[in-house]
Amino acid sequence: MKTYIRPMSGWWKRNPFYLWYMLREASCVFITAYALMLLWGLYRLQQSRIQYEEWRESLSSPLSFAFHAFALVLVVYHSWTWFKIMPKTLPRMPLPDGLVVVGGVAAVVACTTALMVLI
Amino acid sequence: MNTITIECLRYHPESDAEPRFQSWPVPFTDDMSVLQGLQYIKDHLDGSLTFRWSCRMAICGSCGAMVNGVPRLTCETFLRDLYPGPVRIEPLNHFPIVRDLAIDQADFLGKLQSVKPYIIPDAEPQGTYLQTPEQMERYYQYSKCINCLLCYAACPQYGLNDRFTGPAALALLHRYNADSRDAGKAERMEVVNTEDGVWGCTLVGYCSEVCPKGVDPARAVNQNKIESTKDYFFRFFRK
Amino acid sequence: MQVVQTDIVVVGGGGAGLRAAIAAAERDSKLRVALVSKVVPMRSHTVAAEGGAAGVTREADSLEQHFLDTVSGGDWLCDQDVVEYFVAHCTEELVRLEHWGCPWSRLPNGHVNTRFFGGMSVQRTWFAADRSGFHILHTLFQTSLKYPSIKRYDEFFCAELLVDDGRVRGIVAIEIATGNLFVFEAKAVVLATGGAGRVYRQNTNAGTVTGDGMGLAFRAGAPLRDMEFMQWHPTCLPGTGILMTEACRGEGAILVNKDGYRYLQDYGLGPVDPWPRAKAMELGPRDRLSQAFCHEQRKGRTLDTPQGPAVHLDLRHLGAKKIHERLPLITEAAKTFAGVDAVKEPIPVCPAVHYTMGGIFTNVRCETPIAGLYAAGECASVGIHGANRLGSNSLVEIVVFGKVAGDAAAGYALSGSFQKGPPNVAEEGLTSLLSNDKGERLAVLRDEMRDTMEENVGIYRDEPGLRAACAKLATLRERYRRGVRLDDRSRAFNTEWLTALELGFALEVAEAMAHGALARRESRGAHMRLDFEARNDDAFLKHTLARHAGHAAPRIEHQPVTITRSRPRERHYGGEGKKATLT
Repeated sequence: MKTYIRPMSGWWKRNPFYLWYMLREASCVFITAYALMLLWGLYRLQQSRIQYEEWRESLSSPLSFAFHAFALVLVVYHSWTWFKIMPKTLPRMPLPDGLVVVGGVAAVVACTTALMVLI
Repeated sequence: MNTITIECLRYHPESDAEPRFQSWPVPFTDDMSVLQGLQYIKDHLDGSLTFRWSCRMAICGSCGAMVNGVPRLTCETFLRDLYPGPVRIEPLNHFPIVRDLAIDQADFLGKLQSVKPYIIPDAEPQGTYLQTPEQMERYYQYSKCINCLLCYAACPQYGLNDRFTGPAALALLHRYNADSRDAGKAERMEVVNTEDGVWGCTLVGYCSEVCPKGVDPARAVNQNKIESTKDYFFRFFRK
Repeated sequence: MQVVQTDIVVVGGGGAGLRAAIAAAERDSKLRVALVSKVVPMRSHTVAAEGGAAGVTREADSLEQHFLDTVSGGDWLCDQDVVEYFVAHCTEELVRLEHWGCPWSRLPNGHVNTRFFGGMSVQRTWFAADRSGFHILHTLFQTSLKYPSIKRYDEFFCAELLVDDGRVRGIVAIEIATGNLFVFEAKAVVLATGGAGRVYRQNTNAGTVTGDGMGLAFRAGAPLRDMEFMQWHPTCLPGTGILMTEACRGEGAILVNKDGYRYLQDYGLGPVDPWPRAKAMELGPRDRLSQAFCHEQRKGRTLDTPQGPAVHLDLRHLGAKKIHERLPLITEAAKTFAGVDAVKEPIPVCPAVHYTMGGIFTNVRCETPIAGLYAAGECASVGIHGANRLGSNSLVEIVVFGKVAGDAAAGYALSGSFQKGPPNVAEEGLTSLLSNDKGERLAVLRDEMRDTMEENVGIYRDEPGLRAACAKLATLRERYRRGVRLDDRSRAFNTEWLTALELGFALEVAEAMAHGALARRESRGAHMRLDFEARNDDAFLKHTLARHAGHAAPRIEHQPVTITRSRPRERHYGGEGKKATLT
């Protein structure tokens, strides 16, 4: 039986749902880069105060600011998708899915606010 | 009566090297589905247009197609909602085309068989098994799958790697594993654990979005990632 | 032409065909079983059955009561020996489905729940929400995958039965994907091809329900029995005919006319109270309810909808929780196809063709008069439905008699042998359709057939109308023979070709219906004659047999009905009764 198999190239451009998915996956690159930067800062801190200050100084460039702002947006988006799919990965809950998502997001917001206040 | 243009992807294995689009103007009333639009074309304009359909009430799972790029059951998608059109109909994505909108379902049927979608009993009772509504609740949702294959058309991982067992078959696997009457979980975990089992899924999640019956295959697959992980670690303790 | 040799061919992958294949495989795993179906089995029309399947389980119930309900429901045209066998084997088959995984709805204690159905005196109907047929079909299909001796031929269209010397020797089928012809040589053949509702215009049936198997057997010389008995389901969506299950009423829904009046009380089904009670008002049998609708329409008490006259099926008093739990499918369907929220509004409904009570004549062992040929399910007339089938008897019929047919075919195949010499295949008759340059459009002939049946072989019939129908169908057959011109002349997946073959079968089956109706000069069950309003047991307590007569009209004969313990008496619904408590 002869059949025709359609090519997959460019599949992720065919549907907005796939674009958002690819953005979720791509956000990892930026989040990793940010984490490495942070790690580098920790490393500098254990070297000496001066080197730590130098590291902080290097972050104040406009380019660095833009990167951080962008990374923040991606982190927020990634976290949102993470909570959105969380109900699918949990064992059966007595709560509706929507509530699990809202609960997760609320917990993050509460923890972040608490941290901000404490520091 | 309004008219809408329906354009269909057409492919004939005997004469075409690759598919092409053809369109027809179709008069429609507010209660007409996309399927009825296709039937109109077949009855009155071009009898060679080929598509599958049967129950026309969204339960047999025959009439799935890409409607404007989205996998849908054509019997429950209405032309009025797509007006002014044009409406673009293609065969379900990720499957080989046999002719026009008819795709080759053999791959799915093989996968369905591979997950052992039947009760593997421990010991059969006299009379019926006892199963409380709560026990039934644990699998019932997954038993509602009509095998329409919209989820496969939604899953890019299946499109990229057709060895992936895929959403519907894994949901049905889970349906039997979660059934209190079944004792075949260990056999089915062999399918779950492979790279083309649940680990072929990257949680795009679109399968659950397009499912016309609320089966939520993505949930079944990801529940089984946990099961598979447990299976992997606990095997060391079992020995 | 490719030849496949196998022991048993089962034609049709719905509930009866699957059950037959499993029974044959279980009888002897060395038997090769070929399951030939024009659709992948889970697409078969069993999938659309909603309400449930009858089987005696309750303490207050008995086989005797199921027997009496069935026989009186069938207006005494049932073969009572067959009904006795049937009711005695229903429950075991439903239990078997339960063991195979069918998700029957349960009581809180874990036992299977049962619901009321029309014409049944006790809550006897096992159900899986309102997706009973869907779950039965998927359970059977998925279970069939366990048996390596069942080899499936999905999307193979059975186009011809091969019969020599009164003995079946196989089938000819078209592989749909390629258009290639296959000969299946077999010792036994089971037909399980479903009904013929699609010969009518407004019906609840899937597009596949075109009477192919009946036509195949009819042409091969097996008689069709009681074809004039067509069931109209009283509650379907106007226009599309999409089914709103009888289970709605089994759960307590009511029917009202445009004035909000429960009109059934005017047609021998009342009084209204106490409500609910068995076999009264909305829990009456389908023939009576559909007939009552016609009277309401004549009195001008139906609603006008853009798709035609309707009455209201009102579920609102059941409450959202019960509606969503027990009737999720029809709630969805009402929303999608009629734009009605069943929790908040009544659903407009009207009768539509639903079930073919008649079919290929078989005895209780599912044997047809052709040796080695068996039939089961809606395509067969084994004798349990009589003049009117009770809801929930057919979903259990497919498993009870599917098993009988599979067992019997296996027994025959084990003791039989293949016939010698090449079979005589009428290939030309199948492929000539592909080369007609002149002729009519398929849809024109099909629509004329449907309109004729709808108009003249409807719920109420009379002699002039039936004569007109017989004449028209003869003309349509003649026009079909003279030529249908297809747009599609190719072989691969040519659905237009298959539709043309289906129409050929359908026209002959429709003719058997019309001629059977013309000959039955009485009113019984679903066959209502305006010119013979009463039942006439002296002349017509007998089955109708239609025999194929080539290009001529079928020959109509009659055959006695088997009566064992229930003498015909007046059929009685409504009246006094206890209020029932629904679970």
